[in-house]
Amino acid sequence: MSWQVVAYDLFSVLIYPGIIFLVALALFYQWVDRRVYARAQNRYGPHHTGPRGLLQPLADLIKLLAKEDIEPSAVDKMIFRAAPILLLTLVFTALFMVPISGTSAIVSFEGDLIFLIFIMTLFAILAFLAGWGSTNRFSLVGGMRAALQTLGYEVPLAVSLIGPAILAGTLSVSNIVAWQAAEGFWSILLNPLGFGIAIIGIIAIIEVVPFDIPEAETEIVAGWQTEFSGRKLGLLRLAHDLELVFVSGLVVALFLGGPTGPIPLIPGIIWFIIKTVIIVFIIGFIRAQFARFRIDQMVSGSWKYLVPLSILQIIILQLYLMI
Amino acid sequence: MDIVKWSRVKSPWVFHFNAGGCNGCDIELLAALNPKFDIERFGMILRGSPRHADVLLCTGTVTRQIRDRFKRIYDQVPEPKFVMAFGNCACSGGVFQKCYNVHEGIDKVVPVNMYVPGCPPRPQAIIDAAVKLLTALQQS
Ligand code: SF4
Repeated sequence: MSWQVVAYDLFSVLIYPGIIFLVALALFYQWVDRRVYARAQNRYGPHHTGPRGLLQPLADLIKLLAKEDIEPSAVDKMIFRAAPILLLTLVFTALFMVPISGTSAIVSFEGDLIFLIFIMTLFAILAFLAGWGSTNRFSLVGGMRAALQTLGYEVPLAVSLIGPAILAGTLSVSNIVAWQAAEGFWSILLNPLGFGIAIIGIIAIIEVVPFDIPEAETEIVAGWQTEFSGRKLGLLRLAHDLELVFVSGLVVALFLGGPTGPIPLIPGIIWFIIKTVIIVFIIGFIRAQFARFRIDQMVSGSWKYLVPLSILQIIILQLYLMI
Repeated sequence: MDIVKWSRVKSPWVFHFNAGGCNGCDIELLAALNPKFDIERFGMILRGSPRHADVLLCTGTVTRQIRDRFKRIYDQVPEPKFVMAFGNCACSGGVFQKCYNVHEGIDKVVPVNMYVPGCPPRPQAIIDAAVKLLTALQQS
């Protein structure tokens, strides 16, 4: 391997579209989310930090990183320290497989869609571990709920994400995007049901209202994050914002054609940002409109309605492919 | 400007604790979060856990019952932390002064950075107090 290749790889992993760019994007999306949420409630949201409050997420992050980091004496030290770092690493790993600037991601191989679905499950497992390691009753309940919630959303989400893969005949996210670009249409046209279910599923993954059951502030303080403070909380919040980028990027890649668009002059990254901001907008709007579901409503509702609907979507796709 | 100080001034997260008030102050505090006053404009968010907070916003005079719990909550807030005494009760005992079961004001129990008098104070008073607190922090 020549040094140019190594330098290019390093650049794309560390700077663009790698870690630094992704962190900037994550903070920007947090701002978009908070603004949409506030506007839907007839408020302004963060407004005085930087131009239009754009720097608010950055200020929050720096403040948390510089704050005292309390470690209660009863916690399981190893899990407690490792959980934020592991979560951040996992999200970055997942993000490297989502096409951001061109039709192919930094890492891609046949079957990475399955791998991504697996990683999404690990988010919940880590939340459970973090709650368990905190040895706090609120954290524990939050962690349990995070694990329980997975039972609800995981199956319909996975089935609906497989829909575009069936259409494209490949299990690699980059290839699905390339297929949509080559065919010249977005798979949401044949997949509207799958798209809706995927949106519901990703809301459950990033644990915001109406599926913020593991963090329910009015019931269990802050859920599995209750005991985290300072640096660890900062990393957790950053990981949460990156999850937002990841899930919206994944949905865009699978259903909305990824970083490609009808006007070829505009570079892929602009298309990516436009489309993901729309997804973030939808999520923020839903967040403002709904109240929290109970955990039993969430699990039974998704098995009663979402699973049959997602299977119906697959059947429709198969019928379409047979004609 | 020092970037850490800038971030602290720009994002004071609030934890609200009722140490034995009549709930009047708490409702005024909630009004400050509502669309009309919207303190999130200044980066203030109400957090559920004291571990996430920077500003401990206390209402009510401290009753004997709650004294130890209140101290524990105070200890759970990570440094640097600020305490805001909200309402006459929290400042001096207010209408509950000389009752047999109260400590008159939260400054008898924990150090206080900012007093907001009024029974109950208006939501504007919270914003005013926050601005003064943050300006003091900025100049320190
Ligand atoms: S200051 Fe007045 S309104 Fe506030 S808690 Fe005390 S009695 Fe109630």
